[in-house]
Formats: sequence, C-alpha cells, structure tokens
Amino acid sequence: MAVSFQPIRPLLQTGTNTVSRWFSYIGLGIGVLLLLCSIQMYVNIQQLLKEGSIRKNGFDFVSITKSVTNQTMGQPEKNLFHQPDIDELKSQPFIDGVAPLVPNDFRVKLSAGDVLPFSTDMFLETLENDFIDTIPPSFTWREGQPSIPIILSSDFFEIYNVFAPGQGLPQVSKETAMGIPVQITAEGNGRQEIFYAKIVAFSDRVNSVLVPKAFLDWANKSFGTKKYVEASRLFIKVKDANNPDLLRFLDSKNYKLNKDKTLLGRNKMVIQGIFTGLGIFGLLVVLLALMLFSFYLQLVIARSKDSLHLLLMLGYSPSWLGRNVSRRFIPVYISIIVVTLAVVQLMQWSFHHFVMYDRPELSSFIHWGVIATGVVLVALSMVTNYRLVRRMLGRLGEAG
Amino acid sequence: MQLIIRDLLPLYFDKDKTRLSDIWGKNIAFNKGERIKIVAPSGSGKTSLIHFLYGMRKEYSGSIGYDDKSIAGFSAEDFATYRKDHISVVFQDLRLFPEQTVMQNLEIKRQLNPYHPKEKITEMAQRLGIGDKLSSRSRICSYGEQQRVAIIRSLLQPFDILLLDEPFSHLDNNNSEKAMTLMLEEAALRNATIIFADLERIDYYPYTQLYHL
Repeated sequence: MAVSFQPIRPLLQTGTNTVSRWFSYIGLGIGVLLLLCSIQMYVNIQQLLKEGSIRKNGFDFVSITKSVTNQTMGQPEKNLFHQPDIDELKSQPFIDGVAPLVPNDFRVKLSAGDVLPFSTDMFLETLENDFIDTIPPSFTWREGQPSIPIILSSDFFEIYNVFAPGQGLPQVSKETAMGIPVQITAEGNGRQEIFYAKIVAFSDRVNSVLVPKAFLDWANKSFGTKKYVEASRLFIKVKDANNPDLLRFLDSKNYKLNKDKTLLGRNKMVIQGIFTGLGIFGLLVVLLALMLFSFYLQLVIARSKDSLHLLLMLGYSPSWLGRNVSRRFIPVYISIIVVTLAVVQLMQWSFHHFVMYDRPELSSFIHWGVIATGVVLVALSMVTNYRLVRRMLGRLGEAG
Repeated sequence: MQLIIRDLLPLYFDKDKTRLSDIWGKNIAFNKGERIKIVAPSGSGKTSLIHFLYGMRKEYSGSIGYDDKSIAGFSAEDFATYRKDHISVVFQDLRLFPEQTVMQNLEIKRQLNPYHPKEKITEMAQRLGIGDKLSSRSRICSYGEQQRVAIIRSLLQPFDILLLDEPFSHLDNNNSEKAMTLMLEEAALRNATIIFADLERIDYYPYTQLYHL
C-alpha cells in the first residue's frame, strides 16, 4: 500500500509566511516574464531582419569599386580590378575574404517570352556562393542544363516595379516574379543560344543579376572573346565594415565602399544587444526569485523541524519526504509559468497586430523556444527544490 | 535478526565505566526471540544505549551491527528502512505529534508498513484503557496516556527487535502490566527480541537475559 502524504501535510507549518511567499511568487513571475519576453523579442528581431541582413556568420559583406574619375573615364582597364589588386586586398589583416563579381563577356538579351511584352539588353554576374546572402539549393548549373537559376537584387526588382506602370508594364509581386520563366539569349563569338531562366531568390546584399559561377564560366568561354574576364566590383568579407584601418586603406587606394547596406546589420546588432541584456537581467531576476523561494522553503523546514525529525525517527524515508514536500510547490511553479506564457502570448499577439500590423514575417503565436524555456525553468526549479529539501532532511536525520 | 555490539562505549564516558558494566566495552550478541532486561540506574547511559542502537546518535566508540551489518555504514535511507521494517522503539520522552489526535499519531506510523489493520488500533487502545482518547489531541492527554499511545505506536509495524526505554515511567503497576502483556504478545507474534532498559527489575517481565549497565 502506498504511503499517503495526507496525514503528514498538516505537520508542515507554512501558514504564517503568506506575505513573503507571495513576494517570492511575484518576483519569480516578473523574472520569468522578463526572460521569456526577451527571448520572444529576440526571435522577432531575427525574423524581421532576416531578409534585410547583410551580416552572415558575424561578418559584414560589402562591395567596393574603383572610383571613376575624369582621368580614368573611358579606360576600362583602369577601373577594373586586376589580380595584384585582389592579392593586395587579401593580404590586409582586416579583410577576411575577397571575391570578384565577374561579369558576362558576351551580349545578353532578356525577354519575358509570351507572358510580358518585355525585352531588354542586360548583364549577368557571378559571385562565390559564400558571399551571397540567400542561396537556395536550386542555385546550381551543369553544362547542358537548359534552365538557369537567377538571384536578383531586391533593389533592382523594386526599381522595376516603380517604372513598370510608366512603361505600360504590370507591377508584380516577388512571388509572381519567381514564377515567371524568362528567356535569356546569349550571343557572341558567332553563336547564339536561348536559355530559360527563373528567379530563385532575391538578394538584399548584392546589387546584381547573379547566375551560378559554373554557367558564367562556361558562357564566357563559349560566347566571349577575352581569355580572362576581370571584375569592376569586388565583394569583401570583413569583421567590421566601419573599421578605420579598412576605410583608410580603401581611401588610399581610391576604392569606393558601398556602405549603406551595412547600416541595417549594425542596427540589428544593437537591438539584439539590448534584448540580450534584458534577457540576462531577466535571468538574474529569476535567480533572485528562486533564491527567495529557497529561503522560504528553508524557513518552512526550519519551522517544521521537530515534526520532520520525528517522521524520520519513525522510519519515513528522507527521499520520500523530500519528494512530497517539494512536490507541494509544483502547482505553484506551473501556475506561474502558465500565467507568464499567457501574458507573453498576449503581448506577442498585440505586438504583431497593433505594432507590426500583422506583417507576414512574424507570427502572432509565441515561438516554441519560449515555451521550451518555460518548461526547462519548471523542471530546474523542481530539481533544485528537491535537492535542497533532501539535503536539509539529511541534516535533520543526522541530528539525534 | 541478531544484534551485535562490540566494545561499545559513549565518547563522553570514562574507560573505567566498562569495569562495572555488563554492556559497555563488552562484546554481546542479542539473539532472535530473546527477552533482554537491562537494569540501569540514572546516569548510567540507558537512553544513550537505546539511541545508539536505534541509530539516532553516533557519539560512541566500538560498533553496533544488525546481522553483521555495521550501522556505521548506514545511510539515512537505510535507517528509514530498518525503522520501518525491523526495529521498533518506545522512547522515554514519548515523542508524539502534539497537535495531532491520538488516532492520527498512530495512523502516521501504521501507514508506513501496516502490520495490523486499522481496527486493531481501537482494540489495543481499549485494552490499555485509552479507547476514549483516540480523537483527542495528544498534547492534552496526560503523560500516562501519552505513554500508552507511544507503546501502541511501536506495535503497529513489523519488527525483529523492540527497544524499550523506561516505557512505564508514567504508568501505575496495573496499567504497566497490561501494556507489558500486550507487548509480549506482539513480540511473540513476530518472534522478536525485546531489549527493555529500566531503572529496576519488574516482576511481570519474564526476561531470558539480565544485564546491568
């Protein structure tokens, strides 16, 4: 027959510390709320700025060009980057990687086929995959493949939508644009070939029309005339695009840095920093509240010392008593977490609905990570409580 | 179950105490079913002995073992198991929960490892003359009544050894005899050893071994 805790319960004196008990509960609630809110906001920022970020794995990716001056105008070779330039850039301690934006060396004509009455000369470029912010798995090409995946600059796409009505062309959404197959005609070297291309992603970082490197290498060889195609733009990978050494070096070489794209990354970092700080503060409040709670628990045990000691003398097992004494607080912990989760859910819904006007990047529901944190907190509090009670009972049992 | 003590002496006693004592500093085995009487004047360490045997205090040299298992290596959980299944005790200072009723006090012990059904509590209480006290808080019972509650409490579990520390100090002869009879019956049911420590010999305890502390 299982031993019942019911006759034991009245032996624990808890009644007279109502105020300190409620202080612990409220403190714990506030701490948990701060912590969970910070996590949720952190997730929100991640989701909101996912598209706009030019930072990847802690690096800034920025493009540089040679400044076109009156002296260099009309002399393309002076405005292109040559291998020694690239080697020199690579050797700088503040630059972690360099990749040229290799352009096409043949004529490219783009038309929308039968879908839109639209045809234009255009350019293609390619860049190492590491330097592109949005790389879908379909961004590959093999010789003989008739379709080419394209990553289009978001800015170019917006410019199209601005000018489209004036040109009698329809405005299109990103989703629709990704569904429209376009025709690309490559011409040069006395040859002509038609490919079908499809936009597979939009890039906020690279202002270009990007195709897989394999395609452009092949096409430049097949349709181009030059042996070696040089780039007018380079992408560099740096820890900090605002590093004074970097800026001084670029100035000295008369290189121009395309910097506005770094701003969003900086802002995101600052906001994330603020919420990380808030999260740490919340964690500290949780710790403080748990300490308060453990003091309260110690007080309960100290006040019920004689009864607990006698129970141990009668043959009650310390672990059974510890489990049952600490189990009394499980409903309290669960209530605190459930109420807090409900408040965070309400805040998230209000934030999404009233502040963010139901933007699709965000969800009205709290992130699973927030719920998981809540569950972990309950488990953690129960384990620490049990261990505390068990240790105190152990000490009681040793006393005669 | 056999209880073996070897060279046992409280740390706060002088070595020469062992000269006159049958227990301190000696090697003794208490065997199953024996009825031990330990006669001890005040201050000779009677309560210390019972507390040592029950594992409540550790201020002694020498060793105590149950079936050759030294209690020095027992954990708090081991003691809990022994106190629940093998060793029962009547404390000299009674040790009841003052705010609980007599019945609640007894039930707290009985539910741990019930040897008797709940009805047996009423029967025993009536036999010892406290049948009408079952629903009274134990703190308002007289010492004599509380002592009988403590005696009944010790008989509600299975045990191999029953330790008695002046169990009749608050009882008259008539009530003591009734309680003794009940304890002897219960010990016989379990074929248990009784270790009965008191100030002097009493006639109605048919001991098999007599020791002077």
